[in-house]
Amino acid sequence: MLELDKFIEWIHSSLLYLIGLDWVVSLIEYVLIGVAFLSLYAVLALILIYVERKICAFFQCRLGPTRVGPWGLFQSIADMVKILLKEIIRIDKTDQLIFKVAPFIVIIGSFCTFGALQFGRGLHGVDFNVGLFYMLAISSLGVVGILLAGWASNNKYTLIGAMRSGAQLVSYELSAGISLLTMVIISGSLNLTDIIEGQANAWYIFQAPLPALIAFVIYLIAGHAETNRGPFDLPEAESELTAGYHTEYSGIQFGFFYLAEYLNMFIIAAIAATVFLGGWQPFHINADWAASFNGIMDCIPTWAWFFGKVFALIFLSLWVRWTFPRLRIDQLLKLEWKILMPISLVNLLLMAVWVLIF
Amino acid sequence: MNVPVEFYLVLSTLLFFIGVYGFIVRKNLIGILMSIELILNAVNINFVVFNRFLFPEKLEGYMYGLFVIIVAAAETAVAIAIIINVYRNMKNIDVDSIKELKN
Amino acid sequence: MEFLTAYLTANNIIFFILAAIILVFGFLSVTTTKILRAATYLFFVLFAIAGLYLLLTYEFIAAVQLSVYAGGIVVLLVFAILLVKNLGEETEKVSCQKKLVSAIAAISGVVISLVTLFGFGFQNNESADELTANVNMETIGHTLMGVEKYQYLLPFEAASVFLLACIIGSVVVATNLKKEDKK
Repeated sequence: MLELDKFIEWIHSSLLYLIGLDWVVSLIEYVLIGVAFLSLYAVLALILIYVERKICAFFQCRLGPTRVGPWGLFQSIADMVKILLKEIIRIDKTDQLIFKVAPFIVIIGSFCTFGALQFGRGLHGVDFNVGLFYMLAISSLGVVGILLAGWASNNKYTLIGAMRSGAQLVSYELSAGISLLTMVIISGSLNLTDIIEGQANAWYIFQAPLPALIAFVIYLIAGHAETNRGPFDLPEAESELTAGYHTEYSGIQFGFFYLAEYLNMFIIAAIAATVFLGGWQPFHINADWAASFNGIMDCIPTWAWFFGKVFALIFLSLWVRWTFPRLRIDQLLKLEWKILMPISLVNLLLMAVWVLIF
Repeated sequence: MNVPVEFYLVLSTLLFFIGVYGFIVRKNLIGILMSIELILNAVNINFVVFNRFLFPEKLEGYMYGLFVIIVAAAETAVAIAIIINVYRNMKNIDVDSIKELKN
Repeated sequence: MEFLTAYLTANNIIFFILAAIILVFGFLSVTTTKILRAATYLFFVLFAIAGLYLLLTYEFIAAVQLSVYAGGIVVLLVFAILLVKNLGEETEKVSCQKKLVSAIAAISGVVISLVTLFGFGFQNNESADELTANVNMETIGHTLMGVEKYQYLLPFEAASVFLLACIIGSVVVATNLKKEDKK
């Protein structure tokens, strides 16, 4: 049918047939996988930027981009060309090395998560034993890049933005991590394949409705805060800090921050979809009378399920972003430390009791 | 085909003594703390490598490595709290200029 | 040529790349005069060491290394550097004599350790590969939570109490002075 794993096997077997040497084939495949991930990363960013601009426009009763191509479809491609051609401005009296390295650290932090994500049946780079923990760990590296960028720009706005961002990311990581841990109790594994296989009959959010729903909401709030967007966009509050930690960046260096921000939104949504909504598993009803319904659901390819769920969650995130006003910094930290953290800790206990009883 | 165990040990020896060099040369407290991190990491590589090559069926070195990481995290948190306090009091974090206790 | 064919396996090449990153950036991080650059180089060293653990097929400890060291400790260090005024720009001068003395100390240490190391004569355990293939999260969890021999419940609990003590301690150390400032 429309599954891609057969296609990948076909590529592997035909390469083996054509070349014959094992290590040459693996080398070519590694390069191919890298190219595929890079182009997926870039294409997703283009799509996300277009989607964001259109949805934002509709929320504000505007039309959004309309000029370039039908419905403005080529607007983000034009923007990409513009950003690639722009001059990279060199700032005096800064540490040039840190200034140049910082965008790379930010983008590596978000790109490395792509290796462990599962986009469909058999569609993933590496299958780690500790896949979920790995993704949490590697996506927390971006903070270092943001702090360095803020300091190296030699500008008080960037420094304030970076400090705010650091405090925000470090504290919201806690409740995001704990709410994922809550789901690990029910899955019994950190391996993403096991987590997804465990949801074949019913997604985890339906398997333990109360604690899973609480964890889901907490994860969405904390994840939304980790992307520096929406009501939590203090690090780059336009009205107070010009543009936060990336004020002084231009050209493709700014593009790196921009890409990482959009792709972080995708990654948060993808982790939420994988852990709570079954990843690429189709929607199944676990009953005898629903066999034909399940059969129809199986006809939709798994990668379509995955991207469908992820884009639904991204739409939710955009909805929140363009609806709520910005929080103050003390409200932001109070929300995390006094509300989300205690609730998620109690929820962890609740989930353990739930798994013991049912 | 494995990397020979000596390669790892040479690497960790070199890293350890790079850390020792930094520990002696550095004057400010944060620099010293960073050198300690290098030393701890070198030791940690040794623990994990010995576990991997000598007793892979037990997880002794592995657990030691984990606990070293935990202790390092706690140590850094406390050390940085102290450093910031020292800075508030003395407006300076050079080890040479902190001699209040001498008098 | 024989040397090349014996040592140029994929594992060895990756090891050499990681080792080069670790040693070069480790050396830069103790010799650079700008403290924030030192923190950046330290970040690269810690990242490469996580890669080394992955090469040893210990995924969990690699992830712990990434999240605690690279994501936690380096962030703390950078925060401290940013909070301490002007430290990032400051270049510290070290006298040549001190450099020389510490270099002699370090190099003699390296020589002594390497002589001992190569005099020992390690033998590679050929069966190590199959045995480590099944270190998964369940094994680690049972090892951490058991009370028998080669199981580590007591250190685990001790570590949790220790961490709690550290949290309280650093909060006390950080807040105590504020009151004194106000007085």
